[in-house]
Amino acid sequence: MPQHAEKTAIVSIQKVVKEYHLDKVVVPALRGVSLTVRQGDFLSIVGPSGSGKTTLLNLIGCVDTATRGTVMVDGQDTKGLNDRQLTDLRLHTLGFIFQSFNLVPVLSVFQNVEFPLLLQRKFTAAERAQRVDELLKKVGLDKHTQHRPSELSGGQRQRVAIARALVTRPKIVLADEPTANLDSVTGENIIDLMKEMNEEEKTTFIFSTHDAKVMSHANSVIRLADGKIAAGKAAAGRH
Amino acid sequence: MKHWLEGVSQLFLIAFRNLLTHSRRSLLLGGAIAGVTTLLVFLGCLSSGVKATMIESATTVATGHLNIGGFYKVTAGQSAPLVTDYKKIEEIIAKTLPDLDYLTARGRGWARLVSATDSTQVGIAGVDIAHEPRLPKVIKMEEGKLEDLAKPGSILLFESLAQKLKVKTGDSLVFSVLTDRGVNNTVDVRVCGVAKDMGMMTSFNVFIPQETLNQLYQINDSATGAILVYLKNMNHIPRDMDLLRKALTGAGYTVMDREADKVFWQKFDEVNREEWTGQKLDITTWEDEISWAMWGLKGVDGLSYLLTTILLVIIAVGIMNTLWIAIRERTREIGTLRAIGMRRRAVLTMFVMEAFCLGAMGTATGALLGSLLAVILDTLHFPMPPGAEMFLMSTTFHFALDPIRILGGASIITLCCTLVSLIPSFKAARMRPITAMSRVG
Repeated sequence: MPQHAEKTAIVSIQKVVKEYHLDKVVVPALRGVSLTVRQGDFLSIVGPSGSGKTTLLNLIGCVDTATRGTVMVDGQDTKGLNDRQLTDLRLHTLGFIFQSFNLVPVLSVFQNVEFPLLLQRKFTAAERAQRVDELLKKVGLDKHTQHRPSELSGGQRQRVAIARALVTRPKIVLADEPTANLDSVTGENIIDLMKEMNEEEKTTFIFSTHDAKVMSHANSVIRLADGKIAAGKAAAGRH
Repeated sequence: MKHWLEGVSQLFLIAFRNLLTHSRRSLLLGGAIAGVTTLLVFLGCLSSGVKATMIESATTVATGHLNIGGFYKVTAGQSAPLVTDYKKIEEIIAKTLPDLDYLTARGRGWARLVSATDSTQVGIAGVDIAHEPRLPKVIKMEEGKLEDLAKPGSILLFESLAQKLKVKTGDSLVFSVLTDRGVNNTVDVRVCGVAKDMGMMTSFNVFIPQETLNQLYQINDSATGAILVYLKNMNHIPRDMDLLRKALTGAGYTVMDREADKVFWQKFDEVNREEWTGQKLDITTWEDEISWAMWGLKGVDGLSYLLTTILLVIIAVGIMNTLWIAIRERTREIGTLRAIGMRRRAVLTMFVMEAFCLGAMGTATGALLGSLLAVILDTLHFPMPPGAEMFLMSTTFHFALDPIRILGGASIITLCCTLVSLIPSFKAARMRPITAMSRVG
């Protein structure tokens, strides 16, 4: 891809193998996957259940480590990092969007979005409020700042999750089936919103999905099957 | 620091709101913590009340805050609990103690008191009522006049003893005693007044004039049983005890080594076995003088600590169990928070805070309830069952609020609640974020 060649590689995966041990049985989840994701990509990972999509996202998200092979995130080999360094990498470089939203139920919309900034301990209350308000406005939830997650619809909750993922201005946002629990219209709106953020903030988005409509929004699509890349990186239809 | 505080306050908010969210569980466990604290505070107030009664009763009837007593031996094997030429010692005390309130000399005796219908063994305090400023303040007369105790041959007793001997003001009684010279002696006395009871000690102690006591025991006026020293601040007792020991030793007196928790009459055997003759002084505290009666107080304290410990263990299991449930329910939340960048220590803090909040709210409620219950019961003056009177040295239940003891007890329970939460909280903190991620794949 000529336009990709000009961009910096933000994620680089080389011959990654991931095996899980269930009692004495070794279950291979990834079998030698190599992949490069460049800054600003809007990448979709597709494949049937059990193909290794979530495992791949977990490795990129530094919440799991590869059995063999190299996972480089923002220039750092994740295998050489200790728990604290991995936590810091997740806090400052990565943003997460989950299928089930995973908001803190006892915090308000505002507090949920603000939480990663509190963990970063870099910003004053006024700076945090400004950033949270801006993002909530962008995702259309500026009227719901004091609501609890249980008072919101599924689509609204996922918007909160997107705002939370973006509030630290991460280089990469990982979304594991972000539309799976939403109806098709809401799901498409969420993908449009992510795309908009990708274009405005130049944030790299990597998301897994089953949904053909959703994957059609991606710049690139990776197809996984049985823990291997079945089809190479390809430009998606609409863009 | 400011960022750290903001982060911690957010963790506190999460912990607090989680407690509110699971209100039934929190109420049950918080209620149990409050119950244990109520019990501890209530028993603590009873213990403090008993102690206050004992102090008031003992320092009125039998002892000063400090006492300079001693033994006088004419021969090696025969001792009398006397201080000879006591006026000189009084002068040394007055010069030595900076926070002396007052001092007074009292004779001490133990004799049979015989009425027309009954007789009993009583402890005798021989007093000079003109030099006893404390007595008119604390003794409440049922009948007769306290001042009449100045008259030779008078006796003041307390209502329970008066009832036992079936006497009232103006009636005659006879003291019968074996003197230190080894002869039987009797003295007639007349009841000058009957005072209200002040704990169990007053049911077997009486006051008579010093000279009547001297007459009973056939001793001269320059000798007394002990010099009772009252201080402005009881907290200075250990310091003042040392000052007195040094001053008296410096003035040439022989001062006996301290034997804590031993009253003077428990020392006779040991003193009689020793070879010396003449005068030895003995400095004791009020606690030493009533140590023989402290077992009731220690029993209440022991019972409250035992009960609290057992109940605390049950609560500890409850807290751990509740936190295990909370952690299992919130596994995804923990994983999510770890995934978005929360450190292990913060996860630990979050769950420990939950236990701390529960413990603090439970103990605060319990301390309030226990104190309230104690105050209400104290005003009702519940009579003590006859069996417990001797045990607790009082005829009615008296409860006293001791803020340090209440705060200490509540703090210890809160600390225990917080400490036991560390085990499940460590487990939560060690959880890998993959746990949450794997739930959504």
